[in-house]
Amino acid sequence: MMKKLSLKLNFADFFTYVFLTFMAFLSIFPFIWMVIGATNNTTDIAKGKASFGDQFLINVAKFFEQVDVPLIFWNSSKITIISCFFTLGIASMAGYGFEVFRSKPRERLYTIVLLTLMIPFAALMIPLFISIAKVGLINTHAAIILPGLASAFIIFYFRQSTKAFPGELRDAAKVDGLKEWQIFIYIYLPVMKSTYAAAFIIVFMASWNNYLWPLIVLQSNELKTITLVISSLASAYYPDYGVVMVGTIMATLPTLAIFFIMQRQFVQGMLGAVK
Amino acid sequence: MSNLKLSEVRKSFGSLEVIKGVDLDIESGEFVVFVGPSGCGKSTLLRMIAGLEDITVGELHIGDVQMNDVDPSKRGIAMVFQSYALYPHMTVRQNMGFALKFGGMGKADVAKQVQDAADILGLDELLDRKPATLSGGQRQRVAIGRAIVRHPDVFLFDEPLSNLDAELRVHMRVELARLHKQLATTIIYVTHDQVEAMTLADKIVVLRDGIVEQFGKPLELYDDPDNKFVAGFIGSPKMNFLNAVILKVSATSCNLKLIDFNEVSFDLPVNGDGLAVGAQVSIGIRPEHFTQNADVEFSLTVDLLEHLGGQSFIYARSDGNETLVLETQDGRNIKNGDRINVGFDKKLALLFDANDMRVR
Ligand SMILES: Nc1ncnc2c1ncn2[C@@H]1O[C@H](COP(=O)(O)OP(=O)(O)O)[C@@H](O)[C@H]1O
Ligand SMILES: [Mg+2]
Repeated sequence: MMKKLSLKLNFADFFTYVFLTFMAFLSIFPFIWMVIGATNNTTDIAKGKASFGDQFLINVAKFFEQVDVPLIFWNSSKITIISCFFTLGIASMAGYGFEVFRSKPRERLYTIVLLTLMIPFAALMIPLFISIAKVGLINTHAAIILPGLASAFIIFYFRQSTKAFPGELRDAAKVDGLKEWQIFIYIYLPVMKSTYAAAFIIVFMASWNNYLWPLIVLQSNELKTITLVISSLASAYYPDYGVVMVGTIMATLPTLAIFFIMQRQFVQGMLGAVK
Repeated sequence: MSNLKLSEVRKSFGSLEVIKGVDLDIESGEFVVFVGPSGCGKSTLLRMIAGLEDITVGELHIGDVQMNDVDPSKRGIAMVFQSYALYPHMTVRQNMGFALKFGGMGKADVAKQVQDAADILGLDELLDRKPATLSGGQRQRVAIGRAIVRHPDVFLFDEPLSNLDAELRVHMRVELARLHKQLATTIIYVTHDQVEAMTLADKIVVLRDGIVEQFGKPLELYDDPDNKFVAGFIGSPKMNFLNAVILKVSATSCNLKLIDFNEVSFDLPVNGDGLAVGAQVSIGIRPEHFTQNADVEFSLTVDLLEHLGGQSFIYARSDGNETLVLETQDGRNIKNGDRINVGFDKKLALLFDANDMRVR
């Protein structure tokens, strides 16, 4: 009975599958293009060759020659890890606080926090640059990390997820003798770990792929991140696209790895942490 | 084990007063049930005892200690929540031992306490499972276990059985009663289910709108309620209320007339001094107190019958269109539409004045 039901594809299902396949192809195409590009030389790529070539190892060697790979990985990793740690810490405490300790003034403050989501980054860029310059942080990694720490979106995400965190769990913990901060550390944190995982992936990707702002505030080569370096390769006078593609693949790998490792947690976090 | 005393206790959330002056004296070892309709403040009162809500006005003593500002974990209480509130990331064993471990007890002692509680509740096989893998009844038991290991002076339960299905609820009810006998600890138990209250309680507190309507033994409340609310709330099916009007009063009796029941008039042996002639009152009669050949009689038309086997419930209408519920042991031959002659004995009828207060 069950088997029959699942095999019987009706008309609507058919179109759903066709549509989904098409969309999946659209989103994966640049990725395939990138992998193919990494195996060809720059002339073939410019000609639009769409099959695998034999230039991969050569491209890799050239990439390592032109770029201080350990340095740019170190720079990007350092910025990303510090950003993730503090953004998650601050946003989860803020989201938890907004949801659990409610009052009228706090709701108003929360509305203001949400309103900041509507201001495009382009509009913030110049005032932000001036502020950072005033405190003398231009051309430092702190200039990249600081503005992202209090992320309105991640605060919003934690507050929404905290709605599913049962109030009676807090009560039980209080009866068991826990103080507020202990409830947060010993109960909230482990219970909400899939929310943290999802937020981690979001912040990780945003920070790792961050381009515009680092481009503005970083000048020294030894401080530059992986995205800046790849982009500078691509905008060279005679760009070697094979090498650029190798760089792009290398830049994608950490994100991919993290997503694959945390996929289950991520999906769970998106669906709601508390079952 | 400890007695517990609430003196003139009040609670306000902002400008909304929820508990409006509660005085209670609960003796050591008593099983006390707070019962009342949803929203009447049962949970709030319990949470004030637990220390999860501040006491706005008034005093709470557990034992001889004033507990108003004492931390929940230091009041000698343990609480079982409606949703069980087990820590989902911990095993049953860790859940039960958490408070002890957190309070600084040594590993071996914690393990022994947890084992003892697990033996009492039959949780042995579940100790290494996570709450998510347990059934409702099992979670309930773990929640009770988590309370037991702390050896509290007072157990607090907030509607612990309301998430269980009917069969399990009856089963757990019996187990709770057994547990109370075994532990002999003071228990305060919140429910909106008057059957649970009647079966479990040594004493019942009937709450309405933040006020104690009556505090007493279950059968006292059933037989001798202080007001119409308690009379109607305790007992299932509900007590019947028959409208009546006062004809004559004296210090030892009260003559009145039933309005919608063939205008029957009769005397009740109560102190009628506070009643005015012509005042509207009501007479309360329990469904099982209707009989034939009684002091006061009238006739009814049968609307509906429910045969439960051992007894039958008759829903019947008077000529004045008032409906009554009657309980009888031999109702199998009665049919819908039948005319029946019933009545009640005056000593079983309760009189309530126009303000719903009992007149004795
Ligand atoms: N934290 C709170 N803030 C404001 N009002 C509350 C709060 N908790 C309970 N109340 C109100 O107090 C009243 C009693 O609630 P509660 O004690 O939960 O009732 P019960 O447990 O008897 O159903 C309800 O009207 C409820 O809305
Ligand atoms: Mg309640």
